[in-house]
This record gives sequence, structure tokens and C-alpha cells, in this order.
Amino acid sequence: MTGSVGAAASIGVPGSLGTPGARGAPGARGAPGSAASPGSLGAIGSVLVANRGEIVVRVCRTLASLGIRSIAVYAPDDVGAPHTAAADLAVAVAGYLDAGSIVAAAAESGADAVHPGYGFLSEDAAFARAVLGAGLLWVGPPPEVIETMGDKIRAKQTVAAAGVPVVPGAGGHEMDDDALAAGALELGLPVLVKPAAGGGGKGMRLVTAAEDLLPAFAAARREAEGAFGDGTLLVERWIERPRHVEVQVLADAFGSVVHLGERECSLQRRHQKIVEESPSPFLDGATRAAMTRSAVDAAAACGYVGAGTVEFVVAGDRPDAYFFVEMNTRLQVEHAVSELVTGVDLVEWQLRVAAGEPLALEQPAMSSRGHAVEARVYAEDPERGFLPSAGTVLHAEEPLGRPGVRVDSALAGASTVGTRYDPMLAKVVAWGVTRAEALARLRAALRETAVLGLTTNVGYLVRLLAHPDVVAGRLDTGLVDRTLAALAAPDAASARDAAVAAACRLAIGLEPAGPYLDPWEVADGWTLAGARPWVVAFRQGGRAVSVSVQGRVPDGATVRVDGGPPLFVRAETPDPGSPAGSLARSPAGSLARSPAGSLARSPAWSPNGSPALWVTIDGERARWLALGGPDEIWVSRHGDAWRFVLERSRSEGAVLAGSTGAVGSGGAGVVPSGPSGSVHRVTSPMPGVVVAVHVAAGTPVSAGQPLAVLEAMKMEHVVLAPSDGVVAEVFVRSGQSVGLDELLARLEPTRAEAVETAGRDADERGSA
Amino acid sequence: MAQVAHAPFPVLTSRIDPASEPFLENAARQRSLVADLRARLERAARGGPEDARRRHVERGKLLPRERLAGLLDVASPFLELSPLAATGCYGGEAPSAGIVCGVGRVSGRECVVVVNDATVKGGTYYPLTVKKHLRAQEVALANRLPCIYLVDSGGAYLPRQDEVFPDREHFGRIFYHQAQMSKRGIAQIAAVMGSCTAGGAYVPAMSDEAVIVRGQGTVFLGGPPLVKAATGEVVTAEELGGGELHARRSGVVDHLAHDDLHALGIVREIVSTLAAPAPRPWDVVAAEEPALDPAELYGIVPTDLRVLYDVREVIARLVDGSRFLEFKAEYGPTLVCGFARVWGHPVGVVANNGVLFSESALKGAHFVELCDRRCVPLLFLQNISGFMVGAAYEAGGIAKHGAKMVTAVACARVPKLTVVIGGSFGAGNYSMCGRALGPRFLWMWPGARISVMGGEQAASVLATIRRDQIEARGGSWSGEEEERFKDPVRAQYEEQGNPYYSTARLWDDGVVDPLDTRRVVGLGLSAAANAPLDDVGYGVFRM
Repeated sequence: MTGSVGAAASIGVPGSLGTPGARGAPGARGAPGSAASPGSLGAIGSVLVANRGEIVVRVCRTLASLGIRSIAVYAPDDVGAPHTAAADLAVAVAGYLDAGSIVAAAAESGADAVHPGYGFLSEDAAFARAVLGAGLLWVGPPPEVIETMGDKIRAKQTVAAAGVPVVPGAGGHEMDDDALAAGALELGLPVLVKPAAGGGGKGMRLVTAAEDLLPAFAAARREAEGAFGDGTLLVERWIERPRHVEVQVLADAFGSVVHLGERECSLQRRHQKIVEESPSPFLDGATRAAMTRSAVDAAAACGYVGAGTVEFVVAGDRPDAYFFVEMNTRLQVEHAVSELVTGVDLVEWQLRVAAGEPLALEQPAMSSRGHAVEARVYAEDPERGFLPSAGTVLHAEEPLGRPGVRVDSALAGASTVGTRYDPMLAKVVAWGVTRAEALARLRAALRETAVLGLTTNVGYLVRLLAHPDVVAGRLDTGLVDRTLAALAAPDAASARDAAVAAACRLAIGLEPAGPYLDPWEVADGWTLAGARPWVVAFRQGGRAVSVSVQGRVPDGATVRVDGGPPLFVRAETPDPGSPAGSLARSPAGSLARSPAGSLARSPAWSPNGSPALWVTIDGERARWLALGGPDEIWVSRHGDAWRFVLERSRSEGAVLAGSTGAVGSGGAGVVPSGPSGSVHRVTSPMPGVVVAVHVAAGTPVSAGQPLAVLEAMKMEHVVLAPSDGVVAEVFVRSGQSVGLDELLARLEPTRAEAVETAGRDADERGSA
Repeated sequence: MAQVAHAPFPVLTSRIDPASEPFLENAARQRSLVADLRARLERAARGGPEDARRRHVERGKLLPRERLAGLLDVASPFLELSPLAATGCYGGEAPSAGIVCGVGRVSGRECVVVVNDATVKGGTYYPLTVKKHLRAQEVALANRLPCIYLVDSGGAYLPRQDEVFPDREHFGRIFYHQAQMSKRGIAQIAAVMGSCTAGGAYVPAMSDEAVIVRGQGTVFLGGPPLVKAATGEVVTAEELGGGELHARRSGVVDHLAHDDLHALGIVREIVSTLAAPAPRPWDVVAAEEPALDPAELYGIVPTDLRVLYDVREVIARLVDGSRFLEFKAEYGPTLVCGFARVWGHPVGVVANNGVLFSESALKGAHFVELCDRRCVPLLFLQNISGFMVGAAYEAGGIAKHGAKMVTAVACARVPKLTVVIGGSFGAGNYSMCGRALGPRFLWMWPGARISVMGGEQAASVLATIRRDQIEARGGSWSGEEEERFKDPVRAQYEEQGNPYYSTARLWDDGVVDPLDTRRVVGLGLSAAANAPLDDVGYGVFRM
């Protein structure tokens, strides 16, 4: 081990490239439409980054290191997004997919070049043409190459002609469903049905039975048309236990192409990558050599310029048999792992190539060193099948400054993550001399990553990266799905400790903010008969969790979770001025009476203070992050985050109920619920005529919803549902006269349950 | 050095030896007394018999202490008043006198809470239930604390109607208090969570704002059986006085709740609408734990009341930082007076350190006047066998000097809190602010004793009178006969002087663990700070 480990964590330093090799010989065959004479990076004074999120931050970092002015864009619904702060200037655009608006913004803001990032318009040839047409440099391959490689069928034909192995398949613009089905049967089932356009796994389907082919075509076409405006499909032979291996290439306008080794991206969910690494633990030297040569051939075959990725699929049982899948004509999300093992700043070279510089890199210098693994932090819920989550980031902690760890992120406190955009929040990348070291560093880094305020996959990633198959390098694209049930949720012990931490946060929030001025402020439930335990009823991930606390948490309290065994718990916040300090205070000046009550003194969001909370459970002291609001408390440890929703009773008042331990039948911690399911009688508030009835028996209604309208005294009175529920019976019809308090309807109330919102698809593509 | 705003008082030092035999013996005795107290409190807190509690819960009702928990601010303290009321009375069938009373925080405000326990004879009022309810109201009145009544009671306990209905301090006084408090702007809030029959109907009706639980609470002057007997009308309890009726038609209540928790939530909301209390009449600084370990109280206080010890050892373990600024330390040394703070509140401590002499009484009267002038609440630590007797002392005017102290204590407008830490005998009880002198709160330690004089003295006094009578008639009285005569007297005083006998009868506000003394005093002072002070004024001091 040398000091170079640390250096591997830094990027964008030209000096880290190592010895610059001789320039690649300028090729006779330039890329179509590109200038054949060498240019210089000096021609680029400012670059507009037509994207959002972490990639903008990452590109701006290189721009800053090169002394180039960076310009970010933001959509109207994304004002103040964290990526806008990373650039020297941020300008408004109509949307990240609005090519005209972005080109206009680039021209107006004085940009010399446009970097498209990934996703959005990065592989949109028309956008590239518009940029070039406006006299700006396009940081990407020529539009014609984008078009060629963007059409999977043409791409396969192009690379196959150059001798690159392709997945046996059929399909194309001319083929109807029957012809496609015939092609599929000829290949032999199972087959993978996929749209010719687009990417990201959208519209892809695995078909194992002949009778499923036509329905799969119909569905895939519909989806492809909806997503990409092109319903062309193709079928490919299904590769068993497929592994996804891709090669990073870099080409200049003069025909030089180098590769930066391969990346394995076999850990995927819903055909989208979550963990990538370089090199692949799977390839032997011969296959690696053949595959990287094929990648260079593929790039050369299409006249590629810039940074690109050639994707291959490899059968798990046949490492030597690899097939071209597609070429991504842009920077990939996972480019960072290649940068860490090669020391090359890909964004810098994108810019140099775009400026017309020839590659100053030669293949032998590209040899990779060590191992790098990347994990993508997503706003998604592994426990709910990776459904995107949304919310406001209340606090985020990233593993900055750890040796060998790089974080590309656009996470910021108090920022809102919606579902309109790709849910990726950050990438955590670790480098190690060996794969085992890289994995260990990545796990450790993720354990220090915390996002409070929305559900993420961080804790899940920690578990996934510790799975024996992942540790052993036995990867395939189905591994995530197969192991999800076991890895999605933290173990029961962690969940219990999280409930304890949440209760501690709540308890500390009950203490006065300053020194004690009043014994009534001591939140220990004191009575003459000892400390009265108090109980908090939480909901967490759809389950009810009750925690009883007896005593004052900073002094040490007895805590039970769901009536479990007593735990001796202490908790304190590290801030000495915080309320969790010792009872013994030094005298201070006199202060006015504190007006706060328990509700008023509910733990407040403390965006300025650290949410660190030290919790000692039966002697084991651990650092948690915890933030509490009036309705919910977030706690996080080791990458996992839990949201505890404070259950309200049916009134807004008694959020929590304590219980005396002395009550015989109830017992400590039990808050009996009152009678439920009693029927509400909806009666007329005054004598009048029914002019409208909006509901019938069986109609579900929510509190405050109009049930009927009465006319009386020339006024219309709307009769509202007194609670959520279902109408059991309606006793009146329109036109009927009713007396005061006459029964109009009966309502079966339901206890309000949080209705989980259904999954949503991000309506803009932003993923790689 | 810059002057600090509050020059810190000197810190008391201790002379006790926690390894000494008497200390260890005292501590062991005290621990068993406290264990006994805890056991009694737990028993009383259960309320009525098991089957009554089961039936209560089966009706969807919360038990009284669960209601309390749902009402009070989360994890806040609760200063219960006389939890052991009616101990040993009524054949033991009325634990806690069937009513839970105390001071607790609701929506950030100290309130007096009165909760009927329907598992004890349907929540009906025994004589001591009435006394306890009235005492809670008295606490509210004196300290200007809003009152919350969680009503679930069948009204007066009919078999003892003569002891609960007609007199001045009987059932009707509850409503008198409600009206008087409402008049003074002390909020009266009721939640009808069960029966509220006959006179009881006035509790919600006399309240400023009232809540009822639908299908569970009823309010009527006469229940269905009485109505049928009186008029022949057949009507269900719900029709006669249920929530729907009172919330929609009669207007007897203001809010309709779905269930107990909902009702408690509404009460919390009501409290949050109350006007802010008056500013504290004295300054409060940040609290400081005593420098000397309060746990040592167990070993310091002799369980034999005849053993003298320095009461400063107790003071040092109750007051902030063990800081105590003594007044007139060299004069009248059997009464220790001085300034301190408890939970940041200023207090003037008046503590017995032996029998009261004329000088001690004069010093006490002087100090009480000082505190009164300076708006400093008074804390009396009672351990008093009485005033000194004898010809010289009578001739020295000990009666008028004692009277001066009683006058001062009676007239001081600052809040007075009393803790009986030892004996409370004779006229010493009065000058040291016994129950009759109207302290805002009065607590007893489990080892304390209270009676007009000690059992041994009483037996001797009575025996002396008896012997004189017998001998005047020319008879004779053997030592054995005298002992037989004295035994029942001693037994009577032992029983009636016991703190549990006292607390059963509401002579105090509760028996407290010595280690809880600091807390109850702090809570009491803070509660007392809700009431503005009257003007200073005294009766005639006999000079």
C-alpha cells in the first residue's frame, strides 16, 4: 500500500493522469462532420451543463479545475435545486428536455460548449445538431453516431460488420408481430423482447412461453411508443444468468480510440444498475483482451468521437462468450469507477476531444490499478420493491474525506426530492488495492452515509455489498431480485434499536431548551409512586411500534419496545448546550416563565444543529442521527434510516398517552383504544327540503365531504360527512321535506389509515 | 472580580459519617418505611376491585390513571394529592377515596385535575371523597390553577348521605368553589366520561367549558329509575342525558367526543386557549442540584423522634447547591431560619432544631415577616415537640411570643409550604404552619408523627391526673395499674399519630419519600407561583 490510495480518491487533477503517452496518431478518417484539424481546450471559456443532479456537480468540478466557467440550468419546478449551486451561474430553462430553450440559454449565457451529462438530451441527435447549429461545441459524439448507435438494430449491424460478436436476435422496422414471433421461435425461447429505441430497461420483457410472445410484443410496443415515440421491437436470445460487462472507450476526432478497461454492472434492479465495479471480477485475461479489443473496434466502426461505453452481455457459465448489446454515446453514471482505477478524468477528456485536441493517451498507460466499486444512492424503498420515494432531505451526511472514497452527489439539506426526476441522489465510490478492500471501504463509507427525510436504499446497499455472492464476485443481473427479500430490511435488532433512538429523540425534545427553570419541565414522568412510564405509539413502515419510557433519558431510563424486555437506555446529544445535558446546571439569570407545553415543545426540526444522538442501550453506546418534527421522527444509523410517524389519537390533542404502571389490567405501555366502529347518525341541522343527495349506501366518503344539500330559509346548507367512512344507509331523497334532527343517513366510520401512494414513474428520463 | 447579580449563598458542610452505625441503622429503617409507602401507593393506585376494573375497561372506558396519562403532557410530573386518602376507612372499600386528585401539566399549564374512579363504588362520594375533592379545589383556588374535572360518578354515596350532603364543607361546596373560582377567572373545565348524576350534574353545568363522550357520558338531575318513580316516564339514560342530547339540544355541554382519548384531547385544546397566568411574583434562577447527596437523608434523620440532630444536614440536602444564608444564627438557635433556593425558586427556610423557646419564636416571627416583605415563599420543616414549658418560661411570656409567631405565619401572604420531617406536636404545629395555618401544601415523611402531644407524654399527663384523683379519694394506684392505664393511651396515640392515619383523613397532602421532598417542594413552589401575592398585612402582635 502506498500513499497513492488517497490520490486515487481525487479526480480532475490533470497531473494524476500519470505519464502522458505519445499522442495517438491522427487518423486519416475523422468523424463525419467534425473538424480534422487539431483544436485546443483553451478555446472553451465556459460550458453549459444541460442536466441536473450529481452529474452537474461532477462536471462542474472538472470545469473548475480547468478554469472553465460553468453554467447550470434549472427547470421551473427545480428552482434552487442543489446542482445550481455547483456552477458559476445558473440559468432558467423551460425544462431539461426542452432543446430549444437550453440552446437559447447556452447562447445567451455566453457558453462555448454544451455538456449534456447523461439521460435527458444526452443521446438526442437533434439536440446535438441544435447545439452545433448554434455555433457551440457539443461535448459528445457527432449526431450521426448518436443516431446510428441509438438504433439498436443498426448498431448491431454496424458492429457485427466490424467483427464484433452480437447477441443472436431478430427484429427491425419491417417486422410485424408474426415475423418477430417467428424470429423468436427460431432463436429458441426464452427470448428478451426490447424496444429498438431507448434504454434503461424500459419496455424490456423476458418471454419464456410461445403464447406469451404476442401479448409481450403488444405491451412492449405500447410502452416503447409511449416512452420513446417509436414502437419498433427486437427479440434477442436470452442469456442465462447474464452478466453485464461494459467497456469504457475514448476516441478523438482523428481516429484514435483507446479503452479504459471494463466495468461490471451486473447488480441491477428492474434492469437498472445499482452497483458497478472495475475491473470485472469475472473476466479472465484473454476475454478481457478480446472484449476491450471488440469495444475499440465497435467505436471505430461507427466513427466514434468522445467518451462512450460499449455494453456486452456475458453468460454466467461462459465467461469467454460475450456479445455486443449496445453502445451508450455519452458519459455513464458509473464512469467514476473507471476514473478511479485509471486516474483519467473522463470529463476533462470529453472536453479536450470536443475542443478538437487529439488524445494524449496511449493504450498501455490506460492499464488499471487496483479495484473500484460504485454504489448508487437512490430515493427508493427496497422494502417496497424499489418504488421511488419522495420527500424533503432534512439532513444528509456523506462519507467525505475517507481514504479511497469518492462521493459524487447533489444531496443537500432541506432540498426536496420529488418523483418528477430520476431518484438517484448520489454515488459513493470506493477504491482499494484489492476488490475486497474496495468493497470493505465502500461498505464502511455507506455505513457513514445518512439521508434523513426520505427513504433511500443506502442500508440495503450495505447489506447487498456484504452478501456472500457479491463478496465472492458471483454476480448476475438476477441476484438483486433473488436476494431482495432477505436484504431489503434491516434486521429486527436494528429496527428495535431504531425505535429506541426515536423515542429518545422524542424524550430529549420534551426537555426545556435551556437550563431548568421549573421542575414541571423535567420529562421523567415523576410521581410520588415513582416514574410514570409514558408510551409513544409510532407507525413505522406500515407497522405499529409502541415504546414505553420510564425515567429521564439523559439520566438513564427503562425502555421497552412493543412490550419487550426492559432495556436500560441513556441518550445524549453531543452539543453541550442542548437540552439533554445533566440535571445539575450552573445558576443563570432569571428568565421569564416558559410557556411551552408538551405539544408546543415537540421536538423541532433543527436544520442548524447536528442531529447526532448518542444512544446507549444496555451498555452499548452508538451514534445515531435523529431528527424529530411534530409528526414524525427520522433516525439513521449505518446507512439505514427509519421514519417513525407519531400516531395521533383521533383528536389532534393527545398525541401520546402514558400509562401508570400501577394499573392492573392495562399494564405499562398499553393504551386501550376507545370503542370503534360506532355508527355516525347524520341528521338534518335544520328543518328544510332536501335538494340534493350526493351519496348512496356503500359510498365511501371522507370527513368533510358533502353528503346532501338542504334548502331552508332560502339558504342552502351542505351536510358534511362527520368522519371518514362508508355510507351505510341513506334515508332521504331529493325533494323530501325533513324536520330538525331528522335522520338523513348513517355513516360507518373508518379509522383513518395512511393510504400509501401508488408507485409513480418519473416522467422525465434522467437515468443512464 | 465583577459582582455577580446574585451573590451565591454559602455552601453548608456536613458533619455526618455515612459509615457510622446510627447512620446505617437509620438508613435501613428509612428504606423499609419508604418501601412500605411505595407498596401502599401501588395498592391504592389500582383503584376498585378487579372485576369492577374489568367491567369498566370492557365498556371501552379508560381507567382513571390512564385518563390522567392521556390528559397530562407527555412525561411530565404529576403531583398527586393525598393518594392514600381513606386508607383504613370504610372497611378499605374506597382506595384513594375513589378519586384521583393532583396538580399536573396540561398543554404546558399547571392545572388541578380531579378524576373520579368509577371502579370504586361507581365513583360515588364518600365523606373523604368530598373532602379530597374540596381540598383539590382549595389548592386550585389558592394557587390560581385551572381545574379539570374528569367526571364519572354516581354522585353522593347514599348510605352516608348525612356525612356528605348537608354541611358547609359537604357536596354543595364543590359547586360553590366552582362558581367562586370561575368568578376569579380560574378556568373550570369538565369532561363527562361516565355518569354525572343528580348534584354531580352541576360539575359540567357549572364549568366554563364541558366535553362529553358520546354513548358513554350522561348528565341528568334524576336518573331513569327516579324519573319513572316521579313521573312514570320511561326513558333510557342515553335519551335522558347522553352526549347527543346535551351537545345538540340541551347545550349542557359544549363538545362531543368519540371516546375517552378524544375527550382528553379536546380538554387539552381548551386549556391551550386559556389566558396566560400572571407573571411569577418572585424571580427564578436555573435550578442546581444540592452539593450534598440527598440520598444521605435516609441515614441522617433518626427514626427515634427523641434523638436530636442538626436540621441543617437536612436543609443542605434539599436546597439548591446546598447553599444557605442563615439568619440570626446565634440567637434562638432551636429554630433555624435562612434563605435558600429550591429548583431556582427563593425560599425562606424555617426549621426546628429543638424545642421552641421565646427567642426562637421571636426570631421565627421576625424572619417570616422578612420573607413576606421580600416576596420569598416560606418552607417550614417541622420537627417540633412543642414550646418549652415551666414557670420561668410562662413568666417570660412564651405564650405571647409563640402567639407572635403564629400571627406572623397566619398573616404572611407569601406561599407557605410545610414538610413534617419528624414530630408535629402541640402548639408547635401551629407556629410551624400546620394544616390549620393554611400552607399551600403540606407533606409528611413516613417516619413523622402528628398529635397534640407525644403518646408517652399524653399517657403520663392522663396518668398523673388519674393518680391525683385516686389519691385524693384516698385510694392507691400501683405502678402495674398505671402501666395498664397508660397502654391504651399510648396505643391510641401511636395509631392516630401515624402519618397514614393523618393522610387518610386529609390532614396532609401526602406522605412523601424523603428523597422526593426536594421535588415536591419545587413543584409546589412552581405551582404556587401561578397566584399573585396579596398585600402585606398583619394582625395585632401582642408585645
